[in-house]
Amino acid sequence: MGPFGALYLTQLRIQATRARLLSLAALGAAGLGIAALVGRQNTTLAAGAEFVAVFGLAVLLPITALVVSSAGFGDTIDDGTLVYLWMRPVARWQLALAALLAALTIATPLTVLPAALVPVVMGSPSTLVLPALSAATIGLIAYCCIFLALGLRSKRALMWGLLYIFIWEGFVAQAGGNSARLAVRAYTQAVLTNATGVAFDLTTIDPPWSWGVPLAVAAVAFAYTVRRLGHHDIP
Amino acid sequence: MSGPPPAPAPAPTGAPGPAAGPAPLIEAVGLTKWFGPVVAVSDVTFSIGPGVTALLGPNGAGKSTVMRLLCGLTPPSKGELRILGGNPRRDVSLTRWIGLVPQQDGVFEQLTAAEFVGLAATLHRVPDVAGATAAALDLVELSPADSRPLGAYSKGMRQRVKVAQALVHDPRVIFLDEPLTGLDPRQRRHMIELFARLGAEGRCVVVSSHVLDEVERFGSRVLVIVQGRLAAEGDFHAIRDLMDDRPHRIGLRADDVRRLSTGLLDAGVVVGVQLVGQDRAVVDTVSVAAFRRTVAAVAAERQVRLLEVRPLDDDLESVFKYLVGR
Repeated sequence: MGPFGALYLTQLRIQATRARLLSLAALGAAGLGIAALVGRQNTTLAAGAEFVAVFGLAVLLPITALVVSSAGFGDTIDDGTLVYLWMRPVARWQLALAALLAALTIATPLTVLPAALVPVVMGSPSTLVLPALSAATIGLIAYCCIFLALGLRSKRALMWGLLYIFIWEGFVAQAGGNSARLAVRAYTQAVLTNATGVAFDLTTIDPPWSWGVPLAVAAVAFAYTVRRLGHHDIP
Repeated sequence: MSGPPPAPAPAPTGAPGPAAGPAPLIEAVGLTKWFGPVVAVSDVTFSIGPGVTALLGPNGAGKSTVMRLLCGLTPPSKGELRILGGNPRRDVSLTRWIGLVPQQDGVFEQLTAAEFVGLAATLHRVPDVAGATAAALDLVELSPADSRPLGAYSKGMRQRVKVAQALVHDPRVIFLDEPLTGLDPRQRRHMIELFARLGAEGRCVVVSSHVLDEVERFGSRVLVIVQGRLAAEGDFHAIRDLMDDRPHRIGLRADDVRRLSTGLLDAGVVVGVQLVGQDRAVVDTVSVAAFRRTVAAVAAERQVRLLEVRPLDDDLESVFKYLVGR
């Protein structure tokens, strides 16, 4: 195995602790359980899309991405092990990419899969599956990049991440307009809206902005992570 | 990745110090580091060549910050630093030739010792990972077959694993930050011999410690760091003599401390006496050994009951204060 493969496997072991996996899997399972209950009364495309948006994209996706990806560097800073990855002849971008790929590997089955299963569980039209998959995938990449950087930037990444998810995206962005454009959630919901025609509360964002902006934000956050790995103190 | 830096010429065993050897592998000029208003390292200049060099200083003196600066883990606020002719912070490939045992206890707890050391070997692109891992673990007397995770290891065993991961890629420069912490006496002896051997082979071994006796056993060149400044530099024994020549302060308690103090003055083993209460005195001596040999005899001769003899300034802190104040 080469250095990158070793870094990736190490990051998987750092991020995928048993407690994390169990609690996040329970969150996704609870969501699917609720989706099944909702589906008993309403199986329309609108009901399915709304459940994907409200639970999958607004709660499950950002929380899972936060818990998993912020640990990529956050845990190694907390316990002082980052030095064992950093003091090696490996490019900084490889350190960051290995952590990101590990986060995506862990978070994808915990988020994208449940989001795609919502229409199946609810009995909603199967045309919702692909939009749900697309919105969740784009959102997951953006959130993972942002929270990977946050884990490297702040010792209180979980607290700041939760504040962002619930205060900014949950309240401030709900006011619509420009504030909504600063929330990843607005874009993921827009991807869902543009594909299904089901509108939500947040601002209207047309393609390619709906998928282009979150991916651009992801790229910027990833570049920041690489730069910070090269320029900041390593504990 | 750039090619390997030129190999240093092996230093003869027992060489007085890197300063006498070939071109330095580490050069620090005016190295300064501050954290907000706190100056952790102030205008430190030194060079280190092959062999063992000890970074000695009391806790909080700035040794770990100097270590972190040397490894590139933190950038200097001011000054120049060159390791193997480059800056490991800017040139990642330089870390190929550097091994580090960090001070912090943390390791990847879910990995076994072989996995942990093997990870280091893989990241350093060592050709035979399994062989190098086994050899490095053997150096610290650990088994690559041990299937226990590092989380189940004692502090001393973890410390040895940390040393193994620092040596697995055969580095030219090795930084060891308080490497003997948690080791039992036998392992300490083994590690000291290992570090001495690595130095004698021509590697540059930099060891930080706040324990004077430890550094003495390294038999090395010493950089004494006190309050972020380079207080002394050179051969350990010369510095040790300097330390031993300073006046020592000793507390005495006896049933007739005045008569005992007079006897010690008459015997010429103390140079100053300060009576503190009815049964206590503080005396100054320039030779602790002579004082120790004489005090009981003087007490017996003067028929004084000696109740307590206590060195008051035998800690490193006071030794360093003396060095700084000279």
